[in-house]
Amino acid sequence: MGVALRDIIIEYKKPIAWEGLAGIAAVDAHNALYQFLSIIRQPDGTPLMDSHGRITSHLSGILFRTLNFLEMGIRSVYVFDGEPPHFKQGTIETRRGQRIAAKERWQEALEKGEIGEAYKHARSSARVDAAVIDSSWQLLHLLGVPSVQAPSEGEAQAAFMAQIGDVQYSVSQDYDSLLFGSPVLARNLTVSGKRKVRGRTISINPERIILKEVLNGLSITREQLVEIALLVGTDFNEGVHGIGAKTALKIVKRREFGATLEKELPDFDPVPIMNFFLQPPVNTDYKLSWTPPDREGIRRMLCDQYEFSPERIDSALDKLATTSGQKTLDRWF
Amino acid sequence: MLKATIDADIFRESIDAIAALVTECRMHVEPDRLYTRAVDTANVAMVSLQVKKEAFETYQATKEELGLDIAKLKNMLGMMGKGDKLDLSLPEGGHRMEIAFNRYRYALTLLDVNTIRKDPNPPTIELPGKVILTGEALQAAIKAASMVSDKIALGIDPDNKFFYMVAEGDTDHIRLELGQSEVESLTLVEVRSLFSLDYLKDMGRVMGKAEKVEIHLGVNHPVKFSFDFADRNGHIDYLLAPRIEAE
Repeated sequence: MGVALRDIIIEYKKPIAWEGLAGIAAVDAHNALYQFLSIIRQPDGTPLMDSHGRITSHLSGILFRTLNFLEMGIRSVYVFDGEPPHFKQGTIETRRGQRIAAKERWQEALEKGEIGEAYKHARSSARVDAAVIDSSWQLLHLLGVPSVQAPSEGEAQAAFMAQIGDVQYSVSQDYDSLLFGSPVLARNLTVSGKRKVRGRTISINPERIILKEVLNGLSITREQLVEIALLVGTDFNEGVHGIGAKTALKIVKRREFGATLEKELPDFDPVPIMNFFLQPPVNTDYKLSWTPPDREGIRRMLCDQYEFSPERIDSALDKLATTSGQKTLDRWF
Repeated sequence: MLKATIDADIFRESIDAIAALVTECRMHVEPDRLYTRAVDTANVAMVSLQVKKEAFETYQATKEELGLDIAKLKNMLGMMGKGDKLDLSLPEGGHRMEIAFNRYRYALTLLDVNTIRKDPNPPTIELPGKVILTGEALQAAIKAASMVSDKIALGIDPDNKFFYMVAEGDTDHIRLELGQSEVESLTLVEVRSLFSLDYLKDMGRVMGKAEKVEIHLGVNHPVKFSFDFADRNGHIDYLLAPRIEAE
């Protein structure tokens, strides 16, 4: 997923304390929902579900992340993907294949009683489908958190909102946000501060990447950053086999992007994708307003419809009622 | 085991102090005192209460941990008259506490302590600012502030030598300054933090009855209110986390 720019960006990924993130954040909804669906699972990989078999992991994730954000003085806006560009079709097909294969391996591992393996494959089988998106919109509305529908890629919309100052930064795990021109990208904003990476649980802390620092530091323009991404491979193109971010940086700085593509991928026309990153379709007709949470509505949805424990939800709602800008005592114990 | 007699007003004050923040708690019974420390469900405020043996008319106890349904006890308080005496009795390892007063014998089923949140650790906070004022003055200020806003800033201005409370609403504003001669004691150090009046109103009703309340403050730090009751045989500390000041 996303683009493998880590090797050249690592120096510009700066740890940041939660306090430094207070403000308005545009959250890449698809990215966040995928994280919830893949992480919030039982040890054998079964996601949280109600008695009708409807997945509820994402609802739990949205509720508790919203709470955590409010406590840290962060107001969020969820930005949802619209129609994917036609050149993303390949990635979509590949991911569908990977999901189906992961689901089969999950079942096999369960049959063999290999719980750890089952969990690993179950995570890769997570899918953000229409039911997940609809119920997420519904819950965000009840929480009083605004949602914005992007015409195409959510990250592009979030980047645009950060560029014009409607939000202070975008939140995504993918570096594509930088290609779309987000001036500030925040990563690793999880509630638990932990993430599973290749089967191991590691502690992670919020980090911030400032686009200007990346471009100035590497002495490149945003257009050149996009060129690097195209050589490495993005969600929209496969990239050149054997070229990683460091090599791509050298090629682009030597102004050999065109020549390299011509030689390695003579049939590939980079222009539509370049344009898509640099001038993506965005929605300018949106309104951001935060309203108090609808306590009864949330209870009806989560407890009556989706069978969450009323005690758990009430406790979260109590917290929600008080946490808008309210710190908790945790940090002083 | 617990067998004790206590004045209804002291009992009421103890339960009211806890009920301001939580609906249930773990009460620790010891041979020379009762104590509890509990945090509200949102982790924003904490109450610590201690009632020494001397606050009781009679007191015999062995070490025990009781799960108390504070909401139920608070309802029961309505049945008690002023000056009533309360007999509390719980056999060793018992699950029901008998509370006898004014010819009633109330059997309160105790909660399983494992279902109640564990006691929080004692917080370690340096709060350099300190002011002492009457409970009545503090409660009056909280009431006044809640007429214009849902939050209040508490602070000390060392240059002008006063303690202040400021509440700013959308349209109205209220400020109270108390100089050194108007309070019992004032440490002249610059501190200021903002707090939710929703919490302070509930705490204020309890603190209003105290003769003196010590307020400990820092910069964007929790506030600690510390006060005695029951002729100094009972002691309460409230700790409240700050709100984030708007830019």
